[in-house]
Amino acid sequence: MTDQKDMKDPAPAFGANGHIQPGRYYGHGLPYAPIDHYPGKIIAIEGTDGVGRSTQIRLLREWLEVQGYGVVETGWTRSALMSPTIELAKSSNTLNKLTFVLLYATDFADRLEKEIIPALKAGFVVLSDRYIFSALARAGVRGVDRAWLRSLYGFAIAPHLVFYLKIDVDTLIRRVLSARGMDFWESGMDLKGGDDIYDSFRSYQNKLLREYTSMADEFGFRVLDARRPIDVLQDDLRRQVQAFLSNADLTQSPETLPV
Amino acid sequence: MGKKKNSLTPTTFSLLHATDFADRLLYNIVPPLKAGMIVLADRYAYTAFARDVARGVDRAWVRDLYSFAVRPDLALYFRVPIDVSLDRLMARRVKLKFYEAGMDMGWSHNEQESFRIFQGKVLDEYDRLVEEFGLSVIDASTSITDQQQKVRNLVARQLEKPDLEVVNQ
Repeated sequence: MTDQKDMKDPAPAFGANGHIQPGRYYGHGLPYAPIDHYPGKIIAIEGTDGVGRSTQIRLLREWLEVQGYGVVETGWTRSALMSPTIELAKSSNTLNKLTFVLLYATDFADRLEKEIIPALKAGFVVLSDRYIFSALARAGVRGVDRAWLRSLYGFAIAPHLVFYLKIDVDTLIRRVLSARGMDFWESGMDLKGGDDIYDSFRSYQNKLLREYTSMADEFGFRVLDARRPIDVLQDDLRRQVQAFLSNADLTQSPETLPV
Repeated sequence: MGKKKNSLTPTTFSLLHATDFADRLLYNIVPPLKAGMIVLADRYAYTAFARDVARGVDRAWVRDLYSFAVRPDLALYFRVPIDVSLDRLMARRVKLKFYEAGMDMGWSHNEQESFRIFQGKVLDEYDRLVEEFGLSVIDASTSITDQQQKVRNLVARQLEKPDLEVVNQ
């Protein structure tokens, strides 16, 4: 679509110049949903498929609850509104990269407004299994304009902590193969790089890992080596979360208190 | 799905319509444009600019959202006062739709009252768009014949411009 005139110049990228404030909107935000001074905290765990995110989140959640924090979990494509639609679109061939991006953004917006913002207001810790960064990485690999993507997700709230579980592609491949095998989308087969799922997986995941790495500075990721044993990684996570939460007050708002 | 459960927020409403638009742009608008044909679009991104902002989404955000859209060669805006549009809808005994009447905003339990408030905000936004995007305004309270004459004149003038490659079907 190079021969088309744009409706308007895209907004400048956010984050690149160090103006990100945790707990505030990245960009234009939702004018009808002010979130200033909400006491809850967002902790996002990012990383590619098969890196061990869900295991780490489950363990982290248990630990936080034992400490007495109220925890709300949210995860990609889990919105009541969009989950069936996204599954339907994936199973048919109608999904192009633009509608793909917009469906994911709709799913995120639904969860942001119905799960994340109410939980922040009530002083919960929101554990997010992936955040907007997976969407940015996937769309970036597919050639969607980066400035446009950042403007689109300008309604997202900057998490208080973003942990990026980093892994190399060789370790990832062995983990995925011994766990459940390679899947069509995780292998980027929609990019039509060939019929060999192994080659496609390797090349796609390599590109994804590069996208994540390029976002680490922009968004202030805390990078964790995910090749370590589960309990070692979990200890690292807990130590950093503890250090953050012990200095945070989740009871600012009178109607709320962690359990 | 969403619409039936009345569970859309202003932002998910906006994003779902943008998704639908992106789909139609890629399949129904861009191919005929490439083939040198004329695409008549009943509503375009401007509808979203007016309607979504009336619901409270950010003006600049929704414009950026649609920056993937092709800018139309000619955009006609049929302007009509709220009372006239409401009278016309009532005369046809049209049941006001939930979102069309802005009932999701909770401004009034009365559908007509809600429609009036919501469409008032929508019309204010359209007035901005006329200037910002150079929409051609047609006074839609005049007779259909008059309106159609104006439309044909505007379209004819547009088609006389040299950059359109005429393709006979």
